[in-house]
Amino acid sequence: MTTQLPPGMHLETVDDKIMTLNVGPQHPGSGHMRLIIKVDGDYIVSCDPDPGYVHRGEEKMAEYRNYIQNIPHLERPVIHDSSNILYPYCLGVEELLGIEVPERAKYIRVIAAELNRCIYILYWLAIYGIFLGHSTMFMWPAGDRELFIDLLEAMSGARVTHAYLVPGGVRNDLPSNFEERCLRQVEYFEKRLKEYEAVFYQNPLLKARTEGSGILSRTDAIRLGTTGSVLRASGVDFDVRKKEPYDVYENLDFQTIVMKEGDSYARSRVPYLEMFESCRIIKDALRKMPKSGSVRTKLKPNPKGGNDEVYRRVESGRGAIGYYIVSNNRPEPYRVKISVGSFRNLICMPYLLKGEKLGNMPAVYWGLNYWPVEADR
Amino acid sequence: MLKELLSPDTAPHATNVLVGKLGDVLIKAVGKPFDMAINWGRIYSLWPVHLETACCSVEFGAASSPRYDVERFGIIEAFGSLRQCDLIVVMGTITRKMAPRLRMVYDQMPDPKYVIAMGACAITGGLYFDSYNVLPGIDGVLPVDVYVPGCPPRPETLIQGCMLLQEKIKRTKAK
Repeated sequence: MTTQLPPGMHLETVDDKIMTLNVGPQHPGSGHMRLIIKVDGDYIVSCDPDPGYVHRGEEKMAEYRNYIQNIPHLERPVIHDSSNILYPYCLGVEELLGIEVPERAKYIRVIAAELNRCIYILYWLAIYGIFLGHSTMFMWPAGDRELFIDLLEAMSGARVTHAYLVPGGVRNDLPSNFEERCLRQVEYFEKRLKEYEAVFYQNPLLKARTEGSGILSRTDAIRLGTTGSVLRASGVDFDVRKKEPYDVYENLDFQTIVMKEGDSYARSRVPYLEMFESCRIIKDALRKMPKSGSVRTKLKPNPKGGNDEVYRRVESGRGAIGYYIVSNNRPEPYRVKISVGSFRNLICMPYLLKGEKLGNMPAVYWGLNYWPVEADR
Repeated sequence: MLKELLSPDTAPHATNVLVGKLGDVLIKAVGKPFDMAINWGRIYSLWPVHLETACCSVEFGAASSPRYDVERFGIIEAFGSLRQCDLIVVMGTITRKMAPRLRMVYDQMPDPKYVIAMGACAITGGLYFDSYNVLPGIDGVLPVDVYVPGCPPRPETLIQGCMLLQEKIKRTKAK
């Protein structure tokens, strides 16, 4: 007599060659996600990511707060990239409510977004370093990150959660002599960035662990719907800032970084090279910015959107972030859907890890530019 | 006599400030020499388990960066193996999916163990007080020693929280 087992309780057929490893949610690397990995000796046979440990229901919460009250909690998914995750929300709400943004505010928003991108990439690089056991690469970016945090703190008053971008512009004007200070710090940082090259990127240990591992071909990258640095490391020239320029990006001078290899090394190098471009954008924006003027269009209290829907996207540190906002003549949005880069890049992890060595798992995992809190929303 | 004079309950506040930490040291050394030695060993080698639960982990990382350097206070940066750890810093939001795992991690740690609740989400649910998937604070899951408020707390606040925990360990009876 066989007893009927409840669904999910069936025992797996045991194969004494294949071992199942459970990585996370508490693991030596960073991130609150679980990977169920099957290994044959040292080689990974299959990988099953299990995200959702930080699912906080941001999208549902947005439905019972009005357009302004939504700002603080919508930036929490990526607190170290908070300007970029708020950017599409502000653009979308401006389109819904029909608000014009002052010219100076557009430049300030771009500067804040680029400073924040550097903060994000430096934190990511610090964790990448400590993932691969390179302590210097944890200390250097973590220390240099504070330069930009100081600048944003002077702009907005908060260390990481700025809530600086609001629908209609930015919350407050720049502090006095910000331009000089920003220029000085950015120029120092550019010199500093060049030192990373010798210590980290030309390091034979890093090259041995990352070159040729986890190769994602150009067609696969497009087919799997990856975005951001993962897509550009596979040779696809796509950047939302270039292809669908928002605010003043079309007036600014920068280029898209593209690498052809598509391996872990290229994925670790593309964000690093993007920081140089971010510095260029900041310097260019400081030069072209109107020196005075309004920075915020005042909204009516409790603004209402019409019977309308809008989709806006921007390029964040992890790829394209899109917001789909539906309004129905009420002060609260009817629906807010956030499409984030982290979650879209997660899908290629099982493809990349198949056939890899277990030791290469951290390099592939963190190279995907994955931030669990953002992916779970 | 010495004990009465220097005890924080009976001595006026000014005396304790004047003698500073020396008063505590003397009381422990005269009264319970072993307690003092054990606690002294514990407070300067707190090993936090590496369990990042939400966005406050960014500021936890910043606390061990060169500018703040939490290691000089005797708290070593996060460590992988939870069986050698005695401190768990709950960094932010605990969701319904994470709560059983958090308790499982805590249960596997050896005694004595201490808990720091970092951030508004870990204390009361914070910004996510009305979310359907977030616990309203971790008190129902773990016994918390020190609460560090903020959203997220600045690294200085976290370091102060760690120092409060050290003070607490110093004043409790060694198990």
